[in-house]
Amino acid sequence: MSDYVGIVTIFVLAAGITGLMVLLGSTLGKKNSTAVKLAPFECGKEPFALPIGNLAIKFYLTAILFILFDVEVVFLYPWAVIYRRLGVVGLVEMGVFLGVLVVGYIYVRDNGALEWR
Amino acid sequence: MIGPTVADMALLMPELILVGVALILILAARRIRTGQVASTSTIFAAGAAALAAAGAASSGPTTGFGDMLVVDGYSQFFKLLIAATLVLVALLSAGRRDGQGVPRGEYFVLMLLAATGMMLAASATDLIPLYLCLELMTICSYALVGIRTERPPSNEAAIKYFLLGSFASALLLFGISLIYGLTGTTAYAGIAAALTGTASSDQPFVLVAVGLVAAGLAFKIAVVPFHTWAPDAYEGASAPVAGFLAAGSKAVGLAAAGRVFFVAFGAEAPVISIILVALAALSMVVGSIMVLPQTDMKRLLAYSSIAHAGYALLGLLAGTPEGVSATMTYAFFYVFMTLGAFGMLIALGARGETLDAFKGLAAQRPGAAALMLLFLLSLTGIPPTAGFAAKFAVIASAVAAGQITLAVVAVVCSVITAFVYMRVVVFMYMQESDLPVPAHFPAAVSAALALAALVTLVGGIFPGTVIAWAVSP
Repeated sequence: MSDYVGIVTIFVLAAGITGLMVLLGSTLGKKNSTAVKLAPFECGKEPFALPIGNLAIKFYLTAILFILFDVEVVFLYPWAVIYRRLGVVGLVEMGVFLGVLVVGYIYVRDNGALEWR
Repeated sequence: MIGPTVADMALLMPELILVGVALILILAARRIRTGQVASTSTIFAAGAAALAAAGAASSGPTTGFGDMLVVDGYSQFFKLLIAATLVLVALLSAGRRDGQGVPRGEYFVLMLLAATGMMLAASATDLIPLYLCLELMTICSYALVGIRTERPPSNEAAIKYFLLGSFASALLLFGISLIYGLTGTTAYAGIAAALTGTASSDQPFVLVAVGLVAAGLAFKIAVVPFHTWAPDAYEGASAPVAGFLAAGSKAVGLAAAGRVFFVAFGAEAPVISIILVALAALSMVVGSIMVLPQTDMKRLLAYSSIAHAGYALLGLLAGTPEGVSATMTYAFFYVFMTLGAFGMLIALGARGETLDAFKGLAAQRPGAAALMLLFLLSLTGIPPTAGFAAKFAVIASAVAAGQITLAVVAVVCSVITAFVYMRVVVFMYMQESDLPVPAHFPAAVSAALALAALVTLVGGIFPGTVIAWAVSP
């Protein structure tokens, strides 16, 4: 049971400090509310909107490219755990994999997909 | 030792060549003017891959990558066939005059990568690599169908193909997962061993799993009732891409089906036989009837390809090495005759892609009309063309398997489709037209037509050379 005391302490501390912060902020902080300030922070995008109207396609292009190159990292993690056992073969394989991705990156750059126009 | 060895990589030489050239073309796509460079390097890559494939299997079957891939006579046959398809389609694409809106570099990169997937699928001896290779092929095909982004029919075709294709992939994957659940392996040899001793309580699951895998593969071959994507995709795609799908996708589907049904599901031969009889009969009948009202040549060739897929399956359902060999022969000859017909459509590009394009061709260009006649006779199955030899082989194999009714259906369907092909002949020889005819075909298209005609004719006169070379796995 004593193994879990640390975790409980963390929970208590986290709840306490967070609560304290919120409490101090709401009592001591200045209050000049505007509509923009009251909106939940959502990376500059309208948090709730009906899916109608125009959306800049460049968001999708960036998102797709992000997913493509993010998956690369997903493969790197398990490789990093066992690369000693894989030896030189594993190193070469990962090099080839990253090389192919670099070719893709150069293609993306050649086509100007990374320029925010 | 974990991971592939140098010997494993050597097995992949044909595919590595294709991928290497594809990567170089991706880098070159925006750096040089890729028009002729891309098509020429694709043709050379396909040639080099064919040489590598031809040289590889001389020493008997070799397995690699933990028995996931095998290089044997069967895979060699299909790899050479796919390389030939790639050469023909690249030649036909190179000579296109209306390909302005198509990014040439990307077009040939997608084609090279699709061909890589096709070649690997013919080599796969495990369901997981098979699935990956088929996906590589189909995902490239979706993009190829929709590559003319400014053309709405092309986009529509790509979307339809993508939706139906994803559905078929899901079926295949579900079948694979059931097989894994039942047998604990995805390797063909392991599945075959495990299925021979299945408990009778597992039998319903085996049926469902085999049926789902068959459905996934049937989609790639475009047999009824998994054919609905083909006419729309062919119509919306450019003619070379449609030819690539008709020839390549079908050949690979048959290659994969041959290995999966014959090696992995060998113990379930009665079930496989029933599934294949149904698919073949439906394909032949529906394809032959639906082809009758078509006036768009690409749709006509699409329904024709569906009927031909039915004939090709006749060989597999016998479940004998001779039957598989007959199907391989069929796939081989079909590639050349259908690409010949598509090629003629490309050569006459300016006249439109409907039946009317062929009106009065014999008076204007007798040579072109004679070539088209050769391809049409072959598609009908009339000697001395390759189409006859191919059809004879599969129908003989169906008779040998005791499927007399199905053989009769096949012959009747041949007669029905003869009407369609002969209508084109009538248009060419007995009607007049004042449509403009190109003074000369582009050299690349002429070369592709000559190659297709040569194989169609020589294959019809000496079919034994191909039949002897088509050995089942």
